[in-house]
Amino acid sequence: MKHMQRAELDSLLTHVAQSYRLLVPQRLEDGTRLLRPWGEGELVLSGEPVQRKPTEYFLPQLDPLLKIDTAGGVQLATVPETPLCLFGLNRADLQCLGFVDRFCAFPPQDDAYAVKRQNGLLIGLTGYCGPDGQLLPLTDGRCDIELIALADGWLAQAFTDIGSALLAEFNDIDPETLGTIRSLSEKRIAEERATLEQAARIVQQELVPDDFWREIGDRCILCSGCNLVCPTCTCFCVQDRTDQGGTERSRVWDSCQFDGFMREASGHNPLGSEALRTRRRIHHKLAADVERWGEISCFLCGRCDKTCPTGIGIQAVAAEIVKRFSTN
Amino acid sequence: MPSTCSTQRSSIYAPRLCRLLEVSDLTPQEKLFRLQLEDGSVLNHQPGQFVQVSIPGLTEAPISVASSPSRNGYFELGVRKAGSLTGAMHLLQPGATIGIRGPFGRPFQIDALRKRHLILLAGGCGLAPLRSLIQYCQDYPEQFGTIDILYGARSPQDLLFKDDLLQWRLSACFSCTYTVDNDPADSCYDGETGLITRLLPKLQIAPADTCAVVVGPPPMYRPVIEALHDKGLPSDRIMLSLERNMRCGIGKCGHCTIEHLYCCSDGPIFWLNEVEHLRGAL
Amino acid sequence: MKPTLTVCPYCGTGCMFHLLRDESGRLSGVEPSGAHPVSRGQLCVKGWNAHAFVAHPDRLTTPLIRRNGRLEAAGWDEALELVHRRLRQLADDHGSDSLMFLSSAKVSNEENYLLMKLARAGFGTNNVDHCARLCHSSTVTGLVETLGSGAMTNSIGCFDQTDLVLVIGSNTTEQHPLIGSRILQAVQNGTRLIVADSRKIRLSRHADLHLRQRNGSDVALLNGIIRQIIEEGLEDRAFIETRTENYPALKAAVEPYTPQRTAELTGLDAEQIIAAARMFAQADKAMLVYAMGITQHSHGVDNVRAVSNLALLTCNLGRPGTGVNPLRGQNNVQGACDMGALPDVYSGYQKVADPAMRTKFSNAWGVPLPSSPGLMSTHAIDAAVAGTLKGFFILGENPLLSDANQAHVRQALENLEFMVTVDIFMTETCELADVVLPASCYAEKDGTFTSTERRVQRGRTAVDPPGEARTDWQILTHLLRRCGLPAAYADPGQIMEEIAALTPSYGGISYQRLDLDGLCWPCPDSSHPGTPILHQQQCTRGKGHFSPVSYKPAKEEPDAEYPLLFSTGRTYFHWHTGSMTRRSHLLDREERRAFAELNPQDAERLGIGDRQTIRISSRRGTIEVSAEITERVPPGQVFAPFHFAEGAANVLTNNALDPESGIPEFKVCAVRVEAL
Repeated sequence: MKHMQRAELDSLLTHVAQSYRLLVPQRLEDGTRLLRPWGEGELVLSGEPVQRKPTEYFLPQLDPLLKIDTAGGVQLATVPETPLCLFGLNRADLQCLGFVDRFCAFPPQDDAYAVKRQNGLLIGLTGYCGPDGQLLPLTDGRCDIELIALADGWLAQAFTDIGSALLAEFNDIDPETLGTIRSLSEKRIAEERATLEQAARIVQQELVPDDFWREIGDRCILCSGCNLVCPTCTCFCVQDRTDQGGTERSRVWDSCQFDGFMREASGHNPLGSEALRTRRRIHHKLAADVERWGEISCFLCGRCDKTCPTGIGIQAVAAEIVKRFSTN
Repeated sequence: MPSTCSTQRSSIYAPRLCRLLEVSDLTPQEKLFRLQLEDGSVLNHQPGQFVQVSIPGLTEAPISVASSPSRNGYFELGVRKAGSLTGAMHLLQPGATIGIRGPFGRPFQIDALRKRHLILLAGGCGLAPLRSLIQYCQDYPEQFGTIDILYGARSPQDLLFKDDLLQWRLSACFSCTYTVDNDPADSCYDGETGLITRLLPKLQIAPADTCAVVVGPPPMYRPVIEALHDKGLPSDRIMLSLERNMRCGIGKCGHCTIEHLYCCSDGPIFWLNEVEHLRGAL
Repeated sequence: MKPTLTVCPYCGTGCMFHLLRDESGRLSGVEPSGAHPVSRGQLCVKGWNAHAFVAHPDRLTTPLIRRNGRLEAAGWDEALELVHRRLRQLADDHGSDSLMFLSSAKVSNEENYLLMKLARAGFGTNNVDHCARLCHSSTVTGLVETLGSGAMTNSIGCFDQTDLVLVIGSNTTEQHPLIGSRILQAVQNGTRLIVADSRKIRLSRHADLHLRQRNGSDVALLNGIIRQIIEEGLEDRAFIETRTENYPALKAAVEPYTPQRTAELTGLDAEQIIAAARMFAQADKAMLVYAMGITQHSHGVDNVRAVSNLALLTCNLGRPGTGVNPLRGQNNVQGACDMGALPDVYSGYQKVADPAMRTKFSNAWGVPLPSSPGLMSTHAIDAAVAGTLKGFFILGENPLLSDANQAHVRQALENLEFMVTVDIFMTETCELADVVLPASCYAEKDGTFTSTERRVQRGRTAVDPPGEARTDWQILTHLLRRCGLPAAYADPGQIMEEIAALTPSYGGISYQRLDLDGLCWPCPDSSHPGTPILHQQQCTRGKGHFSPVSYKPAKEEPDAEYPLLFSTGRTYFHWHTGSMTRRSHLLDREERRAFAELNPQDAERLGIGDRQTIRISSRRGTIEVSAEITERVPPGQVFAPFHFAEGAANVLTNNALDPESGIPEFKVCAVRVEAL
């Protein structure tokens, strides 16, 4: 466990920026908090989660894959040589990235993701740096380095060799300094997850009637925002753009809330109703991914609940499910 | 701006060039395309797998391979004109090139079929993927027990692979029966009439020693499965090929999920007992 | 690459988002503004995909001049010289009023201002108009008469504070999705909702009352509700007494609209009308929300008057959570009206017929100005058919698909001696032009846009226009200079300074003040905070004026030959003539085919199956589209969106015009449907 003050934090980031394209939380002119290149603007070390999902940097909304020339030759999209470092992600965002890393690495590996993600560095930021200085729960170690904000600076712990090397020069401190943060943090996580986990059990047991999904679907205006902002949503469609030089093939963020998402060329659609599509959105996170990957793929980052114009983000729906269909 | 990576890597998303050797009409809506990889390599597929056909400007579409890997030097795709890409394919002439990725997906579980009595059952364009297995059985008849081919189409003119059907009917390897839904006005038609489920009760089945393989349009599955169950065939010996809107072929794009399964990589061939309890599978 | 905060180019809600760019500098995505009072970190599907069409390979990149019947690439100097010379020649030979200038609700305030200046000062004609003629001209006419201002009276934030929303003729969740979603949220929190719409729109699933009045019977419905309110003594007497005039005339005019008579005229039950009247009048704060279902009729202005009458009767004006709330369609249709891209007014609705106004603008621009109001765009089409109109300058509009009765519009455009279009894609209208000038889209220029709640906001440049394409304001500046007018604007901010100096309601608006959330006009001076709610102490015109109206049927109703009622509109995934959304991959995938909605009863009677190709014919033409069999439309009614050139709904529509506003009757005509 290390300890650092602001000057040391700056020196760590300056050092990282020599070998990585370092992105850090900054505020845009309208107050939106996003990850932006180090040095471009003022570093904002506390506040609400960064608005754009962190997987954006490895699987962007428009992701050029390759070009096909007029003779059929294929040229893959180029990717910057310097790897990325994302600084300032909270526990949920790191869990989401870890989930997507695993999803993309599952054979056959998604090389278009991997080539952007490889050799990347993740630095978490937790502790007393939430909105109004609230406690952000500690990470579960899915990062290279975690910085934990305290009143008088940051504690730093490394989870990888690269992380340890980067922290080597900083002062050691007694891990006891973490004090009650860990237990507070665990209590907080348990509280936050209780409703979601209970809703997951109800969904897994198929205790939610179709009428409920229809009712939620009726309230959906099909903005697709819930999927687009979700860090564990990875679904994409493929777009071709052709000009004189050939065709550029890209993948584009897609949403399972669209009728066209699963509609086949024949017109047949296994997700042919709003109710089924609404069920899919929730069921996939709370039941299908548990079956396949062993964990609920919602880590309560809060983005879909904020971006949903009609209040049916996953936390709102989970709370409603627990309220209405809980058997105890 | 950072320098760009100059080393060429390979990608799971990069199509390989194929040349069109032959095109033949199957029905007014369906054509058969015989293809060869431009670099001379072999597709190396197994019966039941599919490829993603790529046409620049029109993205990709999943198409089952209709020929057996035991037929050397080419592979065949049976394509119904349904969307813009398949529409464009129908305009192609021999000599043209298209891209393909694949083969993808879990194939027919041939090991589990060996030495068994097989019921190979297709509806509509489901005969295209099933044909890869039928050809395989034809080429290795010693590996299998008796084989019943049952095929249903809407009308005589919708029957795919008419030449093959005649040949299979005459072949010692198979017993081949086909039927059409609508009473045919076509006097040349010599097959059965009525839904495909009507063909099943007549079959002699020893349930303990039989496997069924079913490939067809979504509405066909439930009645056929019911009829097979009636014959005493358990779900773990009924194999299905499921069709979904598969965009990537490798379990990444998410368009083909059936609950926790990805049809493109966990399937498209499933044992019935793997999917019958899953919502929306059938 | 820094994200660029800008205004969404689609509807009039006025959401703001950041355009994101990748390492190569091209647009790679959209991120909603997290703190903006309208967006609040949210967008609709078109907003989320607003980057997608910008770099499309179909973008126009070079000026085109028609030579030997074909449009060929040309240089800017040659094209601009030709445009100026031909228009000037036509004005000299046939008079300035042989020219028509069509501005655009998709371009900025500054560009609309420059275009109306070009028409009036550059070519001496008041023949300038834009597509508000086709959407809310009835609103401007009707509400100026009754309230004194033709805009949405209240603000979007009011939906969070209201007790009841009456939505009449607005498919809000599809056409103003972030307003529609506020209504849905309000309903979740206890606000009551009445939806009056013949189609089962999403809002109707949440309504306390869904009134499926026959298309074209809105005046009868509103008069019936008003009569019932008066009958039960639920009107607000104090408000009527102190804030309004002409009440006795209203009371007399609605007298015949008993629940029974109203029921006959609207196809509703008398009980529904009584229930609606009670529910509406008993709400302390009620918002009236309407859009094209009210305005696009041959009696569109009467419809607007009736809406205004209901608000005045119940004191639903000038307070938070109330108001007459016409939802403006395009992202800058409010601004295009404000900037005087209309035949009768300069910017700020200052009348050209008023000598004082004329002198003011004439002095500012240094040229004499014409005094008689010009042609409305729909009348200009008639004048082109008649041959009196010779030249057409069209900035960013596609009348061949968007105007009623396509054959008539085609005849008009083909009849012209010279037509110029300024656009970003080769639209159906551009195909007929003599010169096509490649313009910039919203992402490629600075400028201000005024949303439906009168919020003036800044759009900002994220990328350069493609090829040789130029910003619209630069193109217009070049033409102004060729007309001998000073136009040395360094940037759009300087144009806004000129606008503010000449336009009282924009007097306090400057780029410095607009930085983040913008300002709602009227904003008369640089210290004024803007006006989110109009008519608070008194109406803009003084007293609120009751303007009695009586029911008139649509100009063409179903009959034996054409037995079905046809209405047109838009869908959620596409925008107007589709030039942007049909080039946005996801939006295009969702809806790729021209279609028409048909009730299952009619479909069964006609032997039509879902997705089957059908032929729809009216007295004006025939289209072939795919049938969508749905309960969304009532029996006897067919609905088709006008997005699709290959099955263009406006081939069928009736160009019968409202006599006062000149708006066509898009919402009612008679058709026949056949299976193919």
